Amino acid sequence: MKFWQKIYLFSFLVFVIIFNAASIMVIERSHNKMLGQEINNVLSQNMSIHSSVDAIVPILRIYDSIDYEKTVLTSIANEFVAKNSDEHVYMEITNDTNQMIFSNTDFTMPTHREELDNLDIDEINYILRDIDQHTILFTSNITNINNKRYVFTYMKDVTPLYQDRLDQYGFFVRVDLAACFLYMLIMLFVSRGLTKPINQLNRTAQVIAQGGFSERVRLKSKDEIGVLARNFNDMASVVENTINELERHNQEKQRFINNFTHELKTPLTSIIGYTNFLRTTKYNEERFLDGLNIIYSEGKRLESLSFKLMDLIMLQEDHFQMEEHDMGAVIAEIEPALEMMAKEKQVLIITDCEEGKLQLDKDLIKILIFNLVDNALKASAEQQSIMLRTYWRDGRYILEVIDQGIGISKEHGDKIFEPFYMADKARTRSYNGAGLGLSICQSVASIHNAVIEVGSKENQGTTIGVIFDQIGPKGGMNS
Amino acid sequence: MQKKILIVEDDIHISKIIKMNLNLVNYVTTEVYDGLAALEAVKQEKFDLILLDVMIPLLDGFALMEKIQPYRIPVIFLTAKNSVYDKVGGLNLGADDYMVKPFEGIELLARIETVLRRYGKEEHMIKFRNIQIDLDKREVTQQGEPVELTPKEYELIVVLLKNKNIALSREQFIDKVWGGDYYGETRTVDMHIKSVRKKLQLQDHIKTIYKIGYRLED
Repeated sequence: MKFWQKIYLFSFLVFVIIFNAASIMVIERSHNKMLGQEINNVLSQNMSIHSSVDAIVPILRIYDSIDYEKTVLTSIANEFVAKNSDEHVYMEITNDTNQMIFSNTDFTMPTHREELDNLDIDEINYILRDIDQHTILFTSNITNINNKRYVFTYMKDVTPLYQDRLDQYGFFVRVDLAACFLYMLIMLFVSRGLTKPINQLNRTAQVIAQGGFSERVRLKSKDEIGVLARNFNDMASVVENTINELERHNQEKQRFINNFTHELKTPLTSIIGYTNFLRTTKYNEERFLDGLNIIYSEGKRLESLSFKLMDLIMLQEDHFQMEEHDMGAVIAEIEPALEMMAKEKQVLIITDCEEGKLQLDKDLIKILIFNLVDNALKASAEQQSIMLRTYWRDGRYILEVIDQGIGISKEHGDKIFEPFYMADKARTRSYNGAGLGLSICQSVASIHNAVIEVGSKENQGTTIGVIFDQIGPKGGMNS
Repeated sequence: MQKKILIVEDDIHISKIIKMNLNLVNYVTTEVYDGLAALEAVKQEKFDLILLDVMIPLLDGFALMEKIQPYRIPVIFLTAKNSVYDKVGGLNLGADDYMVKPFEGIELLARIETVLRRYGKEEHMIKFRNIQIDLDKREVTQQGEPVELTPKEYELIVVLLKNKNIALSREQFIDKVWGGDYYGETRTVDMHIKSVRKKLQLQDHIKTIYKIGYRLED
């Protein structure tokens, strides 16, 4: 059963039960009250008969004649009956020998009269009896006249009261039906309206479940469902972000694998191709030497790739020797090697270092600097120079490698740190590059709690700054 | 008629080794190193087949493929990627075949031949010195005189001629002449080589190559 149907059905059931019970109670109470009043009326009538009779008892004592008593009592009874003639009142007077003295009843009196059973003198008892589809209120008292007991029974037909109650019920049933119908109609809209936001949530959840992660619930209400919707939306955005993140990671990974296989298979294709060519074709000295040169250089390329990959893998592991070293001294140590590298291309290396003691892994920092200078060399033309400088600024130590080379265009800017990314394949290839350099630099930098900033203008040069901020969690410099 | 083949490959060494392999068996080749140059070349000249690397600068192989589709030139993809997705993607674009790097020259030649045959561009006649082979009629003549060859001998001389100047191993001969499911001895190859040498007087041209197999030389 749907939720709105449950609300609808249960509220309707509760309404029917309470409304009916309340109405019945009201009807019954008013009926009982009317009945009580009627009983009181009849009892007071009976009392007044009783007191009338009492008033004439002394006179009756004087005569002490049954016939006279009978005549007097009959006349009193007639008077009362006449006085209340418009109402259905009956009177019966019997004496202790059960002889009828007066009766105007138009129905047969019951043979057994429980109300008389323990009746004392000067006491009035009453009882309601159903006789021939009429409900008659019997009130009885016993009066002693001349040592004879007379039973006065004053009766009133109270059927109209019951008829009234019946009419009330009849009316009530009509009102009840109308109210129920109205209630059903209103509750139908109310329960549907209340559960509408839930349906909306439901539909959105289905859309999200089918992969529409950007779907959101549009609900502005401030009740619990509104809160639920907001929480639901929050949850959906977290899920969406996570999925996007995963997707991005996945694509990155796929790119890495694609690039890696490409980097691996290209030299392999050459090596296998040339060796097979040389061994299956007729010897030709020029071709033979050419081929061997290519096999050699492609083999070197594979070697370089495997070293770089090892560097990258090593950086993923977690045992580094972080010790305090002076960056200037580290640079001075590797300067001869860098100059050798640059000499081949007739590029000048200028260093300008401020002293800076930092927590470093010396070997990793050397790899970082080698890679940055290597990149700068690849971008530079002959006779240009590469500046390597370090300085303090705002409590941070900055290492910069500045070249005057071809620069990096904007389209490549955000991707250059991805493994195997190469802005210009043809250029880097010819220098045995695999596009891993900056990835390695990035890893080294993050191990040292440093960030790499790239500033570049096409054909004017590139500045790569490594900003060491060791006041952070890994800081040890100020201690 | 010599067939013209366009090699689109950004790695100069690979491009060169492909060219060398193709030239051995008399294909005429043109090398370009990026997608735009390839597009230009296709517009300028008529090629019988394109060997297309997927990861090339400026315009990648798939994008180039779409642009050259109207020219209806057979294309064989050369790719380092070997995921099923890439293969299906390339073939859906209308490539005729793909080769995953690294590959061997002889395999490349075989694929090229298959694709050319599918396009009805295969050779009908092969000539070698005074020998002429009519591939349609399966007839071998030497100085105009028909030479009687068994079916396997015929297949063998055709394979030798199609892979002229390249040494083939006995296994490769078995694969190409007897078919992949042949489990006979490799000595069978030697027997047939011997009789072909004799019947066509090719003793000086079919060379035995140490540790490899046999090579037909000009």
